[in-house]
Amino acid sequence: MTYKPGVCNFCGTGCGHNLRVENGSITGVFASPGHPVGKGRLCVRGWHIHELLGTKERILHPLVRRNGHFEKVPLSEALDLVADRLGGFAGSEAAFWASPRASNEDIYSLVKLARSVLGSNNISLLSDDGHREAVDVLGGSCGIPAMPGSLADIAKADFLLVAGADITRQNPIVGSDLHLAALQGADLVTIGARRTQIAELSRTHIQNKPGTIALVLAAMAKTLIEDGRAAREFADNRNSGFEAFAESLRGLNMPDIERLTGLSSDDIRGVALRLAGAKRAMAFFSSGISGLDRDTIAVLHNLFLLSGHAGREGCGINPITGICNIVGGYDMGAVHDLWPGYAPVGDAAAAERLKTVWEKAPTTTAGFEVNALLADPEKKLKALVVMDHDEDTGRFAERIRSLDFVVYTGAYANPFLESAHVVLPAASYVETDGTFTNTERRIQLSRAKAEAPPDALPAWRIFSEIAARRKQDWGFRSPENVMREIAKVVPAYSGVTYAKLEKDFGIQWQGAGAGTPAFAPISGAFQVPETSEEYPFLLLTGEANHFWHRNTIMRRTQIPMREYNALLLLYPNGFVEIAEEDAKRLGLRERTPVSLTSAEGALTSFTRISKALKPGAAYVPYFLHETIARLLPSAWGSSSRGEDAAVPIRIEKV
Amino acid sequence: MNILEKKKVPEFMAALAADYDLYGPIVHPDSKDVLFDRAADPGDIALQAPIPYNPAKIPFFPQRESILGYTYDRSTGDVRIAPADLVRPKALVGIRSCDLTGLLCLDRFFLGQEFVDDVFRDHRRKTFIVANTCVRPFPQCFCVCTDSGPSAREGFDINLTEAGDVYLVEAGSEKGEALVRKLELPAADEAQTALKDKIVDGSIALFDEVSRENKAWISRATNRLTTGFIRNEVWEYIGKQCFECGACAFTCPSCSCFNIEDLNGPDGTTDRCRTWDSCSFEGYTKMAGDHNPRRPVEDRRNKRFFCKLSYSQSRKYLRPGCVGCGRCVRVCPGDIGLPTVVTAIRREITE
Amino acid sequence: MNAKTETAIVTVPEIAVVDEIKDEIDEVKTFYFRFVDEAAGRNFRIRSGQFIMCTVFGAGEFAVSLPFSPENDRLHLSVRSVGKVTRALHDLKPGDKIGIRGPFGNGFPFEEIKGKNIIYVAGGIGLIPLRSSIVHVLQHRDEFGRILLLYGARTSKDLMYTYMIDKWLKTDGFETHIAIDNPEPGWTKHVGFVNTLVERAGIPVKDTVAFVCGPPVMFNAVIRDLLKRGLKDAHIISTLERHMKCGIGKCQHCAIGRTLVCTDGPVYTYKQIKTLGEQI
Repeated sequence: MTYKPGVCNFCGTGCGHNLRVENGSITGVFASPGHPVGKGRLCVRGWHIHELLGTKERILHPLVRRNGHFEKVPLSEALDLVADRLGGFAGSEAAFWASPRASNEDIYSLVKLARSVLGSNNISLLSDDGHREAVDVLGGSCGIPAMPGSLADIAKADFLLVAGADITRQNPIVGSDLHLAALQGADLVTIGARRTQIAELSRTHIQNKPGTIALVLAAMAKTLIEDGRAAREFADNRNSGFEAFAESLRGLNMPDIERLTGLSSDDIRGVALRLAGAKRAMAFFSSGISGLDRDTIAVLHNLFLLSGHAGREGCGINPITGICNIVGGYDMGAVHDLWPGYAPVGDAAAAERLKTVWEKAPTTTAGFEVNALLADPEKKLKALVVMDHDEDTGRFAERIRSLDFVVYTGAYANPFLESAHVVLPAASYVETDGTFTNTERRIQLSRAKAEAPPDALPAWRIFSEIAARRKQDWGFRSPENVMREIAKVVPAYSGVTYAKLEKDFGIQWQGAGAGTPAFAPISGAFQVPETSEEYPFLLLTGEANHFWHRNTIMRRTQIPMREYNALLLLYPNGFVEIAEEDAKRLGLRERTPVSLTSAEGALTSFTRISKALKPGAAYVPYFLHETIARLLPSAWGSSSRGEDAAVPIRIEKV
Repeated sequence: MNILEKKKVPEFMAALAADYDLYGPIVHPDSKDVLFDRAADPGDIALQAPIPYNPAKIPFFPQRESILGYTYDRSTGDVRIAPADLVRPKALVGIRSCDLTGLLCLDRFFLGQEFVDDVFRDHRRKTFIVANTCVRPFPQCFCVCTDSGPSAREGFDINLTEAGDVYLVEAGSEKGEALVRKLELPAADEAQTALKDKIVDGSIALFDEVSRENKAWISRATNRLTTGFIRNEVWEYIGKQCFECGACAFTCPSCSCFNIEDLNGPDGTTDRCRTWDSCSFEGYTKMAGDHNPRRPVEDRRNKRFFCKLSYSQSRKYLRPGCVGCGRCVRVCPGDIGLPTVVTAIRREITE
Repeated sequence: MNAKTETAIVTVPEIAVVDEIKDEIDEVKTFYFRFVDEAAGRNFRIRSGQFIMCTVFGAGEFAVSLPFSPENDRLHLSVRSVGKVTRALHDLKPGDKIGIRGPFGNGFPFEEIKGKNIIYVAGGIGLIPLRSSIVHVLQHRDEFGRILLLYGARTSKDLMYTYMIDKWLKTDGFETHIAIDNPEPGWTKHVGFVNTLVERAGIPVKDTVAFVCGPPVMFNAVIRDLLKRGLKDAHIISTLERHMKCGIGKCQHCAIGRTLVCTDGPVYTYKQIKTLGEQI
């Protein structure tokens, strides 16, 4: 049989597929009907993953930069060099960028290399860090630092809320679950400044002014409290945090809310009452680029708790991850201040556990987010190890080029190569066994299906080879060995083995649980981006269908790439979407050249008239990096507010 | 008609495997997914398995294949072009009548128009087809509405119909008859011969009422599609639910759209790759420059149903393009498989 | 398996050498070529109005209308650089090789239009596919009535083949009306969209066939004005461009209505186009 079952490696949904393998190369893909997540569906990206996996554009040889040029060297020489050079830096001088596309085994090995061998806690997942906000809010108030529910619960819910996310583009199969549930009668409500496809498919779309989702949710909560619809068990419990939450809402008044959100209080109230009346309610938001900030997530959680829809089966608010192993990356502790298993760096019990397993105490020196290190010229960063991913060097390109030593390890070429001193070719995810943890915490095993090029080792092996050269033998002989160790170090993975994962399409890890869920603390500031005469538009960013992340990977496909280009053929210099009314008012037609100006920068682009926007809002898809980087450089590549991060701009005809 | 005892199926498979690469429904041991695939071992082919999730067009029209390879050395001007070598004898064993009907559509389209598609022809050149009657329908099936099942009437070398401990064997070609002779399959008696029609009638009776009732509606939908009497709102309703994934085309036994790209390898060789394509994609019709004759998703979306059901399009297949396999229903994230669309048209007609 | 039917190179491209490259207008170049295999060259018989699939090695294949006439005309292509493959073509130098499949498509219906007045209406590079027809008609000048070319472009720099037009003007009874969209210093001819020439030129209506080619907006405006003048829709002929991948009626990218541009077209009468039920 030429089809081998596996897991799609693009977004965090984690759909099952069957890859066709002929003569050692991947020639096709077909959805897996038996898989509990995809249930036989894939999105346009998933249907073309074989184009990526069959690409001949691979990094094939270890490369070392000498006199400004790359030279091919034997693998052992490259590994020696990396181990030797990295050993020469203090832990605080080195930083490690793990890939949320990599397997748990690969990420764990990098985490161990950084924290145990090289004494550094400077490690981050190379991705938008929006997920951290969800981890903190949900971990703190529910005891599960990830999506608490299951995708299978969607079909059983009678109220579904999508906050902000363009979910049929980002995680299309989750979007499909929501749409199919709505067809079966579930009350599907969307909140967001753009009328997205899921908004079109919902019963109610609350089209708020950009940047006001938290305010809309707070207004819903306020309505329920004032109507006496708050679930009594929380209102009466002094330790729940209800009082503090209710207090922070007291300052809000409906006329202000109506003005700021552009919505009527009756509409807000109507939806709030439908939520309160639901038996099982779930909310979804993205933890990636079009994600929400901490306050918004906290208000969302509190609203659901208040209405009796948190901490119960089939209820709750769910961050949907944009990349296949973001959850696993957090589980493995690829976070500067969290050790494997979400223990804060320095936590005594965790330190003891790590010391026993690692046979070396982990460093307790505080680490920094890699973004923060690169952004701050005062920080003495000298070396950077980057693992295969779709990201590029972004706004830190110059700083990265100035570092003493940069290692890039990956299967595909990436802009990091330009700054790298050593490049180590890695096996792609179908060339080694490995596990990936999807948005609903499902740890899934993906088996090797093809041979890696001769010099390309799986990343877990690359890192253990470097460790061995620093006199630490980890004893990793297979990815299964690595998982055995992960099971000892990460409490939620305790007892997980490949044998168990192989059955029934993986295992969903369970959080410790915090007993009764509590209200999440909120700042109560409810700051809303305001337009002015100078900057009358609010600019939003979001996802696109055929574009995935920074596109260095999708670029190697043919059909999705053609689709992406189809749009750019029309708008080679990018575009900004505006509402028809605004276009008329400003005398702009389709593809009129315009200048966009924010307080931080300016550029020229072209108009695209969109029915998805209300007047006063403007939208640029995430793949137009240039536009975003020029207009909001401060938000680029650092913790941003994603979809709800509206930037006041001015649009003028040029 | 002849008889193949079930215990003699391995012998039957082995005889085919001697001359052909075997393709058929295979159940994956772990995922339990049933896929129409090449069998490493003839014993892997599961004649009793439910209808495969993927269409049986794959052996002849794979998702992606190199149809030409070339090298061009610009400095010397040396060009070498090597057509792909595709001629491998293939036996499709256990193909269901819907899939076989789809394959015959592809035959007529790829081989029977002004130009012959060489690539498809070479794949198809040496093939042996063993069809398998559906003695009971699967939940998504509606082949009775599209005149493509549950038992194949043409296009097979051998047709099998399960009847208790035996398969009733009908030879549909000289090649099929030769195999029957070679295996010395005993002739069916009168009662066994009569059983075939009874089994097929029994199978048809098992289709749920909706599927049978849909038959009339499919032809009415065909009529309205052809004459263009479908309101734009219906297409907007359908288009709104399209996730633009392409799955309907990829799983359809008769969909044949493809794209061609030249892909360069690191060694200076280029592969001219042809890959499945879908008319739901925006880039499908977009021209270099900036013109796209089909822009909104509903405009693109209705093309598929036009292609599957309109009379004018049926000319190229000499029958409707839809073969009633129901796969598009199962793979569609938006719930706009063909029967849903027929239902939407039906609603329009009755309102 | 290099299938060659009697009329076309179907599957495997035939190799040709680019002999000469001429800059036409901004982003448009003309590539003169000859087949490496002389026999292939002799067998390569085209009808005016057909197209070929051209391989730029290492970049891909694109469809392009043939601008040369079947008779006594040098083999060449005039191509605007608009996408990945055509950009790669523009990077070629004389001596480089290309691949050719074809010719494909139906071609212009010369037999049916004998004895009639012929009007060519072209916008910008829409003159390229009409060139072969013009050359053919002028070579058979005595078989036709009046011959007019109405040609417009955005600016004077966007006018194609002006040197050819000068040459054609030496043929008896060939009239040309040229326009650009906006006034320019030194421009003495008409200013306005090309459809305004229809009125201005006082075109004949009786026994007249119009060939129209240009961008969709221009096309629709010209058709409207021709019909207004009284031309029959069956006497308006156009050649359509679509996103083509195979050229032989299989990939279906060029489907328009119930037809395929590659095998049923690319030449259509407006009467046919009207029934296709799609945007042009």
